[in-house]
Amino acid sequence: MRRISLTVNGVKHDAMVEPRQLLVYFLREQLALTGTNVGCDTSTCGACTILVNGKSAKSCTLLAVQADGAEVTTIEGLASNGEMHPLQKAFHESHGLQCGYCTPGMIMASVDLIANNDAMSDEDIRMGLEGNLCRCTGYQNIVKSVQQAAGEMRSPAST
Amino acid sequence: MEVLQPTSWGEALAAKEEHPGAVPLAGGTDLLVELNFDRRRPETIIDLTRVAELNEWSHVNGGVRLGAGVDYTRVIAELASELPGLAIASRTVGSPQIRNRGTVGGNLGTSSPAGDALPPLVASGARIELAATSGTRVVPVEEFCIAPKRNVLAPDELIAAIHMPVATGPQQFSKIGTRNAMVIAVASFALTLDPPARSVGTGIGSAGPVPLRATEAERFLEGVLDEEGLWDSRGQLSEGAVARFGQLASEASRPIDDVRGSAAYRRHSLGVMAGRTLAWAWDEYRGTL
Amino acid sequence: MAQVADQAQKFVGGGILRKEDPELLTGAARFIDDMSIPGMLWVSFVRSPFAHATINSVDTSRAASMPGVRAVYSGADLADEWADGLPCAWPVTEDIKTPKHWPIAQDKARFAGDAVAVVVAETRPQALDAAETVDVDYEPLDVVVDMEAALADGATKVHDEFENNSSYVWNLDVGEVEQVFNDAAVVVKERYYHPRLIPNAIEPRGVICQPNPAQGEYTLYSATQIPHILKVTLALTLGLPEQKLRVVAPDVGGGFGSKLNVYAEEATCLALGRKLGVPLKWIETRSEGYLATIHGRDVIQDMEVAADENGKIAGVRANLLADMGAYLQLVTPGIPILGAFLYHGVYDAQAYSFTCTGVFTNKTPTDAYRGAGRPEATYAVERIMDALARRVGKDPVEIRRLNFLAPFDEAREVVTGLSFDSGNYDASLDKALDMFGYDDLRAEQQRRREAGDTKQLGIGVSTYIEMCGLAPSQVLASLRYVAGGWEAATIRCHPTGKVTVITGTSPHGQGHVTAWSQIVADELGVDFEDIEVLHGDTAISPLGMDSYGSRSLSVGGVALHYAAEKVVTKARTIAAHELEVSEEDLEYSGGTFSVKGAPDKSKTIPEIAFSAWTAHNLPEGTEPGLEETHVFDPPNFTFPSGAHLCAVEVDTETGMTNIVKYVAVDDCGKAINPTIIEGQVHGGIAQGIAEAMYEEAVYDENGVLMTSSMSNYRVPSAAELPTFEIDRTETPSTTNPLGVKGIGEAGTIASPPAVVNATIDALAPLGIDHIDMPVSPERVWAAIKNAGGSTVDARGAETTGAGSGTGSADAPGGGT
Repeated sequence: MRRISLTVNGVKHDAMVEPRQLLVYFLREQLALTGTNVGCDTSTCGACTILVNGKSAKSCTLLAVQADGAEVTTIEGLASNGEMHPLQKAFHESHGLQCGYCTPGMIMASVDLIANNDAMSDEDIRMGLEGNLCRCTGYQNIVKSVQQAAGEMRSPAST
Repeated sequence: MEVLQPTSWGEALAAKEEHPGAVPLAGGTDLLVELNFDRRRPETIIDLTRVAELNEWSHVNGGVRLGAGVDYTRVIAELASELPGLAIASRTVGSPQIRNRGTVGGNLGTSSPAGDALPPLVASGARIELAATSGTRVVPVEEFCIAPKRNVLAPDELIAAIHMPVATGPQQFSKIGTRNAMVIAVASFALTLDPPARSVGTGIGSAGPVPLRATEAERFLEGVLDEEGLWDSRGQLSEGAVARFGQLASEASRPIDDVRGSAAYRRHSLGVMAGRTLAWAWDEYRGTL
Repeated sequence: MAQVADQAQKFVGGGILRKEDPELLTGAARFIDDMSIPGMLWVSFVRSPFAHATINSVDTSRAASMPGVRAVYSGADLADEWADGLPCAWPVTEDIKTPKHWPIAQDKARFAGDAVAVVVAETRPQALDAAETVDVDYEPLDVVVDMEAALADGATKVHDEFENNSSYVWNLDVGEVEQVFNDAAVVVKERYYHPRLIPNAIEPRGVICQPNPAQGEYTLYSATQIPHILKVTLALTLGLPEQKLRVVAPDVGGGFGSKLNVYAEEATCLALGRKLGVPLKWIETRSEGYLATIHGRDVIQDMEVAADENGKIAGVRANLLADMGAYLQLVTPGIPILGAFLYHGVYDAQAYSFTCTGVFTNKTPTDAYRGAGRPEATYAVERIMDALARRVGKDPVEIRRLNFLAPFDEAREVVTGLSFDSGNYDASLDKALDMFGYDDLRAEQQRRREAGDTKQLGIGVSTYIEMCGLAPSQVLASLRYVAGGWEAATIRCHPTGKVTVITGTSPHGQGHVTAWSQIVADELGVDFEDIEVLHGDTAISPLGMDSYGSRSLSVGGVALHYAAEKVVTKARTIAAHELEVSEEDLEYSGGTFSVKGAPDKSKTIPEIAFSAWTAHNLPEGTEPGLEETHVFDPPNFTFPSGAHLCAVEVDTETGMTNIVKYVAVDDCGKAINPTIIEGQVHGGIAQGIAEAMYEEAVYDENGVLMTSSMSNYRVPSAAELPTFEIDRTETPSTTNPLGVKGIGEAGTIASPPAVVNATIDALAPLGIDHIDMPVSPERVWAAIKNAGGSTVDARGAETTGAGSGTGSADAPGGGT
């Protein structure tokens, strides 16, 4: 067992982990942050996408010990003061989800995508989400949701 | 299983010397899948992501020394003008999340013939810097990979960096997959034009046991460009020359049939890609792109 | 927010935002793998690597000594747990051969992935590790992978107890088929193959069994579409008293048919819970699911059409081979039969013949996958319509118009004897053509053909029909399905004015909570937010037939409508009593009863719910409380239809095919929630395009699944799919009072022929008239090469469009 110390959604955690444990299972099983989902075993589906030090990562491609000292954000950490993040709001309003299983990963990938890209075409968003699979929506309303949130996040906060 | 997490290059090399069976871990995009599937159960893993030296690139002797741990996202953002072929290829790797963690060094370490970063390295004559506590050696990329998923790394060695010349002319990369995104290449082709040296470089991916060069295609094209004075005139390249280049590139491949594609299709598509990348690169050279 | 339809319909017809979303958006949802129970053990299955092998022995001793391991069982060890094998609920013919299907194989493994032993351990990794150490002595046997080879004389048998690998032959003949074909001026015959598909709901399957040994009770949590059916069938499989079993479907992450089954893992976890008396959990890994969760399609079709010289159809004849895989799962044999009545599509015919042979092979069993039987029918019909058009020299649109059934708004009988509920096929096609810009695209196609462009344009048409709302129970009986087709709904009006709805449908992404709230809010005049919809738990919703086959709205939603009518009827009696008028003197609108001529004298449903609860002053013979249940057995199917148009660009050098325009006009009858409908259509089209262009489960000759993980089975991402332009026409169903038809599968059914017809159309000048799905770059290239196309040799690209910079073969990458 190894001791690790990391910050998840602003909360500092010290924990003992098995060296072979993947970060996603540490989050889900030890921290009970079950919003980050597992959809495959080949780092393909992107359901487990989180932010590690602000950058999107598939939490199945990191060992928990690799996150020692890191700042991690999961879907549970996105809303603030009970207010949904603009992406959460946009996915709701643009019907960007159906079963909701891919949604946390899709939203976390979109956080990084919007942060690193200025005005995006729909095509840009499609390419930017190539690492996240959804089987329900056909992606059209996901693209619409990301477009909506991107617009909202860039325009000055409305009062 | 034990995970060692060196924070300096010296520590990393010492760890590798002490645990020659240890598996290096960079972006984790290949290794963790293998652990997931239990295809590998290494006793020791050396996590290289904390070794600051690996995460840097610099100019050395007029070229670029790319630390083995620099991720693809940074290659795209920071090296697009100096290593355009590698940057284009990097954009086709995995997905943003994978590019945020995956590294050129990791791609080399895996030594899959389908590694997207490898054909541009071959086309530009990259040299791979390997290090052990006992010293450092530099190996041409073509000699680095020796068979599918096998390379010349000694048990006590780690990949330190990739040395590449700064682009002096157009570079292109093309990849055929079975879909657009997150796809393992069915075949890929990289092209480097080096006008000052009057030379052409090529790299073929996914169509042989290791990344290949299309040497005859390179010599043919260099011949045409010289004979017709095209390097200087920047004149139009004949359709026949482009087609012949494609054909020679196709013939240089040594593909197999697998679930992603047949050997015949790989050979064919390489010809198309070689022709297209040449047309694009030449148009760029002529300033007509 | 809501688009208000009219006064009485405040919510129905509006694109109301979903109530389901908040927990799904914030990570608060409870999927099966998010749940745990104190003391819970983990289950892992040992699976055969061989597609066909005798199990000589299973040595569990080493596994049993591994850390944390509590129990290890072989199939033989668990043999006494079963009162019967896993169920097949649709023995389609009297003489169908249905093999015993033990949850853990006992004598032989019959497909790669067949479970041969099971391990119970304290943690997930311990269970997985121990499963690797179970030592199974296999004797590999010859393997049958290909259906035609499986039917050949002397073929290796998947099941020794049967004389061959044919499970059944099902046939429907109407009219003078032979004569019509003999007399026809034109007969077109083609052979089509539907790739084997892996459903890939993004949530893998999983099960938790929580026994209560003292009471002999069991709660089974499963990522399932069918908690109600599971309860009945598992009680039978395990010989468990049904009243002691509760099945719960928690939040379920997609199904598409893959969770419409009674699986070995569900039965085994329940049996282990009974045997060990402790809670247990199993979660499928994705690659395990590729072997152990049902596949879809894998059908060969010989399709024929007889027509006159103008292309007017006289008869159709379809002959199918359908791959069952190694066993018959819940409705495996019935899947092709769900399409059996639709091989004439939206066209008229006088003679009709359909035959299907179900074939056993050493592969994962097939079963329902989105569309189930109807994509197969639609594909064959719409492909052969294009072939017929080519033969008689007509445009694909023209040939369809010539053969359409004329618009009808009352049910009409068609050649198979079915009664289509309503239809207006011209209307949806007209609208689609208009949106598509059909004539302009044809002109562009002509231009490219004349210029000999590397990238050729193709246009594909698909005017589809499906049958949904499965089904009238008596019809199901005649088709030898062993259960009914009814659905149940309960409305409970609370004294505080709030309402609980209990539905027998089991949503897993479809938005029933929202849509059902809309229906009840309008019918009872209560606020949308004041309605709670409960589902997916047999202890809460004891009556139900669950969700599949686009049935939920047209059966479950209609049951809800009738339950609301019953509530209103009872409330009317109470209102009349309280207002001291006769029931006939009351008008009801928007939840309020008012006295005719004295509108100030009124009672609302919440008011009546309160007085029904106090029961202080109820009319004689009226029971206290305001709660009604209705079980609806539909009198007929519903028949959604529509027109899908697709334009593709085919790179004739690489074979890469890209969709450049996709238009869909669907007719699902009346719309309850247009936003949800749009989402269903988008997702359906995406899955159909996936079948047409990307996905195929490939086996090698040893029965090993080559597309063994998500990294090489090509589920498309956003980057592969275009933006769809969609719209609707509304032809109300005559089957039910809501006028609804169903929309869950339409996109998946309609889109494959649109895409493939377009691809073939692009290459028609080369003489290409057939490419199998998926139309991968390599397949397209091979078709061009075999047609002797002029573009087989490498040559310079003619297109140098703006670089997308993705390093594709399509456009140059930009270095800077």
